[in-house]
Amino acid sequence: MPILRLVAGRILLSVLTLLIVSLIVFAVLEVLPGDVASRILGRDATPEALELLRIKLGLNDPAPVRYLHWLGGLLSGDFGQSLVSSRPVTDILAPRIYNTVLLSLYAFLLYLPLTVIPALIQAIRRDRPVDHGLSIVTLVLLSMPDFLLATILLFTFVVLVPILPAISLVDHSSSALDYLRAMTLPALTLAIVMAVYAVRMLRDNLIEVLDSDYVRMAELKGLSAKRVLLRHALPNALVPTLNVTALNLAYLVGGVVVVEKVFSYPGFGSLLVDSLQLRDLPVIETTVMIAALVYVGANLIADIAAVLLNPRLRTA
Amino acid sequence: MAIEQVSAPKQTSFRYRVLWRQTPQSFRIGLIVLLVHLIVAITGPFWAPYGFSQMGTGIPLSGMSWTHPFGIDQLGRDVFSRVVHGSHIVILLSLSGTAIGLLAGAVLGLLSGYLGGWFDNLLQRLLEALISIPFLVLALIAIASAGPELSGNPILVVLVVALVYAPRIARIARAAAMDIATRDFVTVARLRGESAWSVMRRELLPNATGVLLVEFALRAGYAPVLVGSLGFLGFGLRPPTPEWGLMISENRALIIITPITVLGPGLALASLVVGLNLFTEGLARILGRTVRLGNQ
Amino acid sequence: MTGAQQLLEVRNLSVGYRQGGGWSRAVDDVSFSLRPGEVFGLVGESGCGKSTVALQLLGFRHVSMRLEHGDVRFKSQALTSMSRRELDELRGDRIAFVPQNPTTALNPGIRIGRQLTETMLAHGRVKNAEDAGAIVGILKLVGLPVDPGFQRRYPHQLSGGQQQRVCIAMALACDPDLLVLDEPTTGLDVTTQEQIISLLSELRVRIGVAMLYVTHDLALLSQIADRIGVMYAGRMVEIAPTDEIFLRPRHPYTQGLIASIPVIEDLSMSRARPLRGLLRRRELPPGCPFAPRCDHALEQCVAERQELETIDDARAVACWRWREIAPVPAEPAPPAGVGTLAARAAVLSVDHVSVIYGPKSRGFRAVSDASFEIKEGEVFALVGESGSGKSTLARAISGLTAPATGAIMLRGEKLADTVRHRSDQQRRLIQYIFQNPDASLNPRARIGEAIARPLVHFFKMEGAAARAKIADALGDVRLDGSYQERFPDQLSGGERQRVAIARALAAKPALLLCDEILSALDVSVQANILTLLRQLKSEHGIAMLFISHDLAVVRMLADHVCVLYGGEVMEIGPREQVFAPPFHPYTHSLLHAVPVPLQRPDKPSKAPKATEPRRGEAGCVYAGRCPWQVGSICETERPPWREGEGGLGLRCHLTLDQLNARAAWPPTTREGIAV
Repeated sequence: MPILRLVAGRILLSVLTLLIVSLIVFAVLEVLPGDVASRILGRDATPEALELLRIKLGLNDPAPVRYLHWLGGLLSGDFGQSLVSSRPVTDILAPRIYNTVLLSLYAFLLYLPLTVIPALIQAIRRDRPVDHGLSIVTLVLLSMPDFLLATILLFTFVVLVPILPAISLVDHSSSALDYLRAMTLPALTLAIVMAVYAVRMLRDNLIEVLDSDYVRMAELKGLSAKRVLLRHALPNALVPTLNVTALNLAYLVGGVVVVEKVFSYPGFGSLLVDSLQLRDLPVIETTVMIAALVYVGANLIADIAAVLLNPRLRTA
Repeated sequence: MAIEQVSAPKQTSFRYRVLWRQTPQSFRIGLIVLLVHLIVAITGPFWAPYGFSQMGTGIPLSGMSWTHPFGIDQLGRDVFSRVVHGSHIVILLSLSGTAIGLLAGAVLGLLSGYLGGWFDNLLQRLLEALISIPFLVLALIAIASAGPELSGNPILVVLVVALVYAPRIARIARAAAMDIATRDFVTVARLRGESAWSVMRRELLPNATGVLLVEFALRAGYAPVLVGSLGFLGFGLRPPTPEWGLMISENRALIIITPITVLGPGLALASLVVGLNLFTEGLARILGRTVRLGNQ
Repeated sequence: MTGAQQLLEVRNLSVGYRQGGGWSRAVDDVSFSLRPGEVFGLVGESGCGKSTVALQLLGFRHVSMRLEHGDVRFKSQALTSMSRRELDELRGDRIAFVPQNPTTALNPGIRIGRQLTETMLAHGRVKNAEDAGAIVGILKLVGLPVDPGFQRRYPHQLSGGQQQRVCIAMALACDPDLLVLDEPTTGLDVTTQEQIISLLSELRVRIGVAMLYVTHDLALLSQIADRIGVMYAGRMVEIAPTDEIFLRPRHPYTQGLIASIPVIEDLSMSRARPLRGLLRRRELPPGCPFAPRCDHALEQCVAERQELETIDDARAVACWRWREIAPVPAEPAPPAGVGTLAARAAVLSVDHVSVIYGPKSRGFRAVSDASFEIKEGEVFALVGESGSGKSTLARAISGLTAPATGAIMLRGEKLADTVRHRSDQQRRLIQYIFQNPDASLNPRARIGEAIARPLVHFFKMEGAAARAKIADALGDVRLDGSYQERFPDQLSGGERQRVAIARALAAKPALLLCDEILSALDVSVQANILTLLRQLKSEHGIAMLFISHDLAVVRMLADHVCVLYGGEVMEIGPREQVFAPPFHPYTHSLLHAVPVPLQRPDKPSKAPKATEPRRGEAGCVYAGRCPWQVGSICETERPPWREGEGGLGLRCHLTLDQLNARAAWPPTTREGIAV
């Protein structure tokens, strides 16, 4: 079946991409800086301490060997040990990933209505005051850096109208309600940033579809406005939306970094920032690879979904 | 039958004057906002009431007042003056970083798109991989890789911005090159036996400038956010540099007491980006293209 | 118009559309009416507003359009003031629309059976969506397969002709009173067009539906319309019964338009002079919009607005001088060429060339075993429909595509397969002109620069010498020097095409490859460029490989004709031999399909066999579609090449005598065209 071949091809390409990513990450973090050991321990480290670290990390081996060793570890699930706490990286990562996944799901739930409703309104009432107004609002929100938006939201809902906690520190002992309250502000921030970008795209796509020949034809056949919108316009506007959603997922992986920091939410993003500041190499490498994996995975799913939803490719 | 000579249509008075009249509202507003920022950036240091690291300008942590529109931070510095002093930093870093990224990306992308072959394939894979790393993450590891001696160096920030943008711009340039290369007038030049270099210079490049210009404006619009994010996380310039992102981070802890010290630089940053985005949208409309604002 | 109750009345309709910052008028004070069961043809060139009028008959509204005044009345109800709900009831039910582009008008994600029943459901003709039986009748009516498998297909799985039949079926599903057709056959091959037109004629007789048929092809309307309305620059300039329009056109624009139609028969008749000049939208006078191009224009024409004046029961003209003017006769055509062609040397010879995409054994055979010769200074036409391989051959000759087998020789020298490996001289001698005038000029270069390029590259010319040559080249295509400073976006399609020709001529080539260069142009512009080409041929003695699907145009220009189908040569020979019996069956079906003014098709053509060309298979490539198929031999054995008199050659199992007996073309005599 040609579809299987298409899908298999895409998957292979994604794997190749990830491989190259691993090369880049390794090169940037371990090869370029020259002497990694002095980077980690700092300028004041003694030569003995440096040598000890080099032996411990296997830094005296040639670079390709180290790379393969590391790659092998990644593929078999052995991510090494944190340099700061000596705990296995997996132990450190797991709860963080869990937290970020929860946060992302929450953000997505908020993002959907925030996107679809304004976009629909804008497309139907095109060029009227509502449309212009919403465009201005989205433009302004779009121009705000996420850390600024986060800070403003924090100020509004923690200080002005104190209903949410300032710091979203949660752990395994927190209750579900605690989690929810802790996650709301960061999730809302992420949702707004993603929604604002997606609304513009969805609006444009909807208008393009509404102007298309087949939608015009549907109207000229005497179909009601509701039917034209729901049966002819919306389904065809969804496919490009998939693309936007994949891009948004990509943003999420990066945006999470800043937002989690603002709210001190113990997730994947704040782990990355902390480990960068502490120069905890194994943790850094693993988190970056996971971030890339998520991005590539999201794009792959969006690509495959686009193929499946396109009858031209399905039946070819 | 003899066909008579046809004369050319009447030339409209001045091509560009007509174009200005047709510019959309958004473009003009964006342009005005940008001009204001530019003027502040250039002339600011001469008329700002205080220096950027000048302490003892008033009671620390006092709020908005006529002499201190953005309040005073905990070190006793006038936030408004700091914002004004920092204005040129953000603009310089953003524009130069984007410009270098555009140069590198456009050259690579156009070449790759027109030439095709193994070079194109290789570059495609490389670009794909670079783009797969979320840009903030990429920026952070690049900065980490540069080491502690270089941290805080503005050139590092510029190069990192360029590094993040170049692959994305290269992709767009490549797509544009491939699209233009299929048009008949390029085929006409190829049929004449013109060299690849000549075709690129005369046919490809002039027609790609529209796309590239819009790309530049788009990325330049988001660059202040990127620079600000780096500053906010502490990976950008070092204190006491009055970089806006850094200021927001520094004053964040005091938001309960004096929110204006955070909102002030925030407003400055947001208004700059709004101006750039409006300008970009308007520019795209003029050049007859659609553009997606935001972080891609 | 007096008489029985009008089905449709359009009164003083004016529609504006948004352009740039302001509003322009697409339709300006148009009035006409339609009786039940009547077919009204609306004709005009691009930008005349006919499509806008058509959409208004369905009450279509859009943010970029506005009704400025006037109305449209259907059975005395005003469409223009109805609510969306009232319109929904009428549309698809009483008034139905057949679109120009069926491929984009069908929703790509919904099966066609569904799209058909959808209309019927919306208007209460069926109870539920699964009522397949209801649409069987409709499918049969339009000649589509009735099996449920067909109904489950998606639009992209149908051919262009089938897609249009589906659209017609959708329109007829609820037995409407009025069909509005917007250029329904423009994107289709001429043989498919013939079938659709005969289907429409048949439907009209069977169910008595009235039609408004919008097109730019005046000859086509003569096959189906009762009355014709001619539009120019948004205004209605003449309305008359079909025969009257062709025999006694009153408005100068109509006269010029008719004279511009390439005529496939009887060149010896003297004809009126085609239209001169161009439509310049920004320079229209306050009075009659046609005045700048009119041979009879006076001061009053430029200043005073012309209204439609009713002449008698069925005719109206918007020209105050209609009684006085007669068409200006055309000047005699320049001589076809100097000297006999047979004596000249060959400038290009194509020897058993095949172009295959993919592996040689089982790839797609775009061109199979084509051989022909083009002599110096002659016009050689390659004729065929889409997929015939004519463009592919041109690409192989120019070196853009490498042939899989065979050789191409230029003045005796074998040409390298790809353009990169050819010499500069060889590249100079063959110049390519493309179909789409919008894409063949660099939008960022001025016209002068575009023409300078070959001069610089081939002749190293610069400065004053180059400028003089550029002016010469522009003069050759009858454009004056002021064009040098302009950019392509300031020119119309016809002007751009002339510039492309000038650029090609500047290289002083031996052979011009003209790939459907007239297809994207309005018919009046076509006529001008056609005349230009004939002039160039006699002035410069350049050979041309003229590719076209339009047989009428080919008849007026070519010395030699080659007919292609499915990548293979079906018939080849001097023009007069190809246009006279014996005909290859495919050539005959092509000729039969060309609409000729005032000539109704004598019998309806048979139902279509929508088969693909049998490339690479045993037997004849045309088998399965051939109306004169002998039997199974056509599908098992390759037909032999037969040579007739005067240099004619064709490939068929039937002998030349048998083909002579079959031939019936031109079919019947008819009245002459307006003089």
